[in-house]
Amino acid sequence: MDAVIFFPFTHRTAETVALKMAGAIIENMSTKKLVIVGVILLLFQAFSFMVGGLIAPSPTTAVHYLATKCVDAVKTSEKDEWFMPWGPDQCSKIRDFEEATAKRIEANNIVFAVHIPLPHREMSAWFQFMLVILQFDIAFKTHNQIEDGAMATMDVRLAYRDDLMGQWTEMAHSIEHRKLNCNFTTSKTPENDGRYYECDLLPFMEVGSVSHKYYLLNIRLPVNERKKVNIGIGEIKDIRLVSIHQNGGFTKVWFAMKTFLTPSILIIMIWYWKRITQMTRPPVLLEKIIFALGISMTFINIPVEWFSVGFDWTWMLLFGDIRQGIFYAMLLSFWIIFCGEHLMDQTERNRLSVYWKQVGPIVFGSFCLFIFDMCERGVQLKNPFYSIWASDVGTELAMAFIIVAGICACLYFLFLCFMVFQVFRNVSGKRSALPAMTKARRLHYEGLIFRFKFLMLVTLACAAMTVIFFIITQVNEGHWHWGGYTVQVSSAFFTGIYGMWNLYVFALMFLYAPSHKRYGDGQSSVGDQGGNSGEDIQLTTTITHVDGPTEIYKMTGKEAQE
Amino acid sequence: MSDKPDLTEIASFDKTKLKKTETKEKNPLPTKETIEQERKGDATPSVNNFLMTGPKAYLTYTSSVQSGAQSGIEECKHQFAWDRWNCPESALQLSTHNGLRSATKETAFVHAISAAGVMYTLTKNCSMGDFDNCGCDDSKIGKMGGRDWVWGGCSDNVDFGERIGKQFVDALENAHDSRAAVNLHNNEAGRLAVKATLKRTCKCHGVSGSCSIQTCWMQLADFRDIGNYLKIKYDQAQKLEMDKIRMRAGNSADNRGAIADTLSNVARTELIYMANSPDYCMKNLSLGLHGTEGRECLQSMKNLSQWEKRSCRRLCHECGLKVEERKIETVSSCNCKFHWCCTVKCETCTQTVKKYFCAKRNKSRRPHNHSRRRQHKRNR
Repeated sequence: MDAVIFFPFTHRTAETVALKMAGAIIENMSTKKLVIVGVILLLFQAFSFMVGGLIAPSPTTAVHYLATKCVDAVKTSEKDEWFMPWGPDQCSKIRDFEEATAKRIEANNIVFAVHIPLPHREMSAWFQFMLVILQFDIAFKTHNQIEDGAMATMDVRLAYRDDLMGQWTEMAHSIEHRKLNCNFTTSKTPENDGRYYECDLLPFMEVGSVSHKYYLLNIRLPVNERKKVNIGIGEIKDIRLVSIHQNGGFTKVWFAMKTFLTPSILIIMIWYWKRITQMTRPPVLLEKIIFALGISMTFINIPVEWFSVGFDWTWMLLFGDIRQGIFYAMLLSFWIIFCGEHLMDQTERNRLSVYWKQVGPIVFGSFCLFIFDMCERGVQLKNPFYSIWASDVGTELAMAFIIVAGICACLYFLFLCFMVFQVFRNVSGKRSALPAMTKARRLHYEGLIFRFKFLMLVTLACAAMTVIFFIITQVNEGHWHWGGYTVQVSSAFFTGIYGMWNLYVFALMFLYAPSHKRYGDGQSSVGDQGGNSGEDIQLTTTITHVDGPTEIYKMTGKEAQE
Repeated sequence: MSDKPDLTEIASFDKTKLKKTETKEKNPLPTKETIEQERKGDATPSVNNFLMTGPKAYLTYTSSVQSGAQSGIEECKHQFAWDRWNCPESALQLSTHNGLRSATKETAFVHAISAAGVMYTLTKNCSMGDFDNCGCDDSKIGKMGGRDWVWGGCSDNVDFGERIGKQFVDALENAHDSRAAVNLHNNEAGRLAVKATLKRTCKCHGVSGSCSIQTCWMQLADFRDIGNYLKIKYDQAQKLEMDKIRMRAGNSADNRGAIADTLSNVARTELIYMANSPDYCMKNLSLGLHGTEGRECLQSMKNLSQWEKRSCRRLCHECGLKVEERKIETVSSCNCKFHWCCTVKCETCTQTVKKYFCAKRNKSRRPHNHSRRRQHKRNR
């Protein structure tokens, strides 16, 4: 009685728990059907890559702007004046600052004006978001160098209007500080006067919805010698802005994809839950977590973004982040719990509290990132110019959050790897004992092993795909030319990977749902085991009572997994 | 713009080429004919006077093109500050219209840097909103700007600068001879220098600012970098052996094809020239050369590069001139308090600086030969 060594009576409860999950569709399906399902899923996968690669344009566009230098002649006291860089009522402008010096114009009278977008174009709600990056062109002058730790103080105003002749409406007004991080690569000699410093990109502005057609930015760099404001920042020659927004075409393809995916995941989710509720026993933890994964996937999928086309919902960006965060946290928890429930070490689990050590870091890490996101994007709802990275305290705080989240992620992966290792150790242990087991037990363990290995393989494949594609998009220039077609690699990455995780969740819910076939044909087989040892009788009775005849069905008919 | 080298097009540069791109524009670009008309009666057209007389409709571009060409020449002056040839104003005349100028290495550089300057400035001013249709290349897509801008954004401003710059600068070459082809090639090399020095910058903006979404763009480099790049190309410039071309092409009709054939063997980024440079030591007003007499050079200063350290030897000694030290009192500003713009509060300081100039030697015949020999060596 080898089995007794592995399954002493004291651990009977654990045994029954593990058996509850037994009898998923994946085990009961024939290899042929499994292959068919796999091929269909692969086709959808290829399709989702192609949608992004061939139909959609690149995900984002960067537009360059060079600020026009306007002259505020009288230093207007009225706050409402807006300076237009071009168009019918453009400001009086100067080409460069030599001209300003000649005309005795002071720094305080200069307004940098940028109109977004460029002439003869309109912004569109399809752009979803717009973030603007600031870069100073600072010329090196031997006698007027940038001081260490120099800080630029900007008085920035943002306005919008929806028709070309209309009045500008102020959206935001703020005094912003940005630390200049510039270095001069060549030697600091008088011959190199006039060369530009190489300055880091500065985060400038981020708006979560682009619901207006025209935007106008007015930037001042006020000088105050007494308060040391904007002193020692070198000789600014130009202000360059780069605005980044999502391409309308990509948004449309993305929405279409979400709209298509939502019902498919929703339907399979309802079907899955029906299956669960049809059973006589209450759902086990693993079934619940798969269902939760389905819910979080649907939560991401639901295309609420459609509303952002019609309404000015700036919080959509933040909301999207939160939804993604919830999904990632769910996926990570699922992997841990799946491993735990397939550990086969005769410990009673089936409760979330058992996994606190592993799930804790996930929750804590996600919480850290959530706080960080609220500090950045949350505040940006109020002040689009806000950046947590602009101040020293903010930078430290943000770094702290990110580092803690990083540590949590490391901890999680250590736990996960350890658990996977444990499972494999137990599997090999079980393998050697398999021939000596009774048929019911053997099939049960074989089922467990097969289920685990299958998910392990699929997950690894998905993760590998994600990582590989991610690297390709980082390294590549954005698009490939393939014959007559232009393949947008990064768009393909986004739609493909998004489709892939949807298919992953879909397949999970479909294949790991309790099998249908058990109803009715099991009862007769119970008798087969009557002559076995007491322990085995004990095992089968629990199955019959709690989970119906799933196991028995397997005994009678299922060989697919071999 | 197309990436394939299309040299047959350069060789057979004609009016139809220009016409194609100007159809949809609000401010139509000049056709070859209008340019031709404007130029008539102008014996020595330079970039400036060509542009000043341009039709009013496309004045929007002219100031950019003008200042672009100017910045090119300024950069040229900087790059050649300590060379025997120091990029004199006469080099501004870009066209081959003036039969006096030959296609030397220096001309090649002037062509390249001017074309680069024009493209650079057009690109820059495009980002300032100076032009109506910049970036959104309607001519290529064939649809109205609106939809494509929303769908997938517009092409880069650099492409716009390249396209318009090409139309303006290349239009100055109205001849179909080998020299025009060489000039066009060098113009192209200048524009490619702008593209080669573009810097790729990326910004991550995914969930919580992670790099799951990243947007990259190409950014214009400092114009000095373009100058440095082209200076290197100048040092490596390749000479076209015209005799070989003529030998291959028996008659004049085949000549053009032969040039195109020869040019296609040269990388598009390389500068090419046909004639050896004259002796820049000597004053030769008929060639527009001023000689090195009276030029300043650098000596005994800190932080000089090898090239600058030898400037006195190169400019004076090797040209048979002596170095003259002059003490010059300069009034300069010092102890300044700067604002980031416009306001400078300074004290004035008087300084005596030593400067070095090339001056005629009192008794010299021998060094002249010496310089000849050097010159010869250099050109080899």
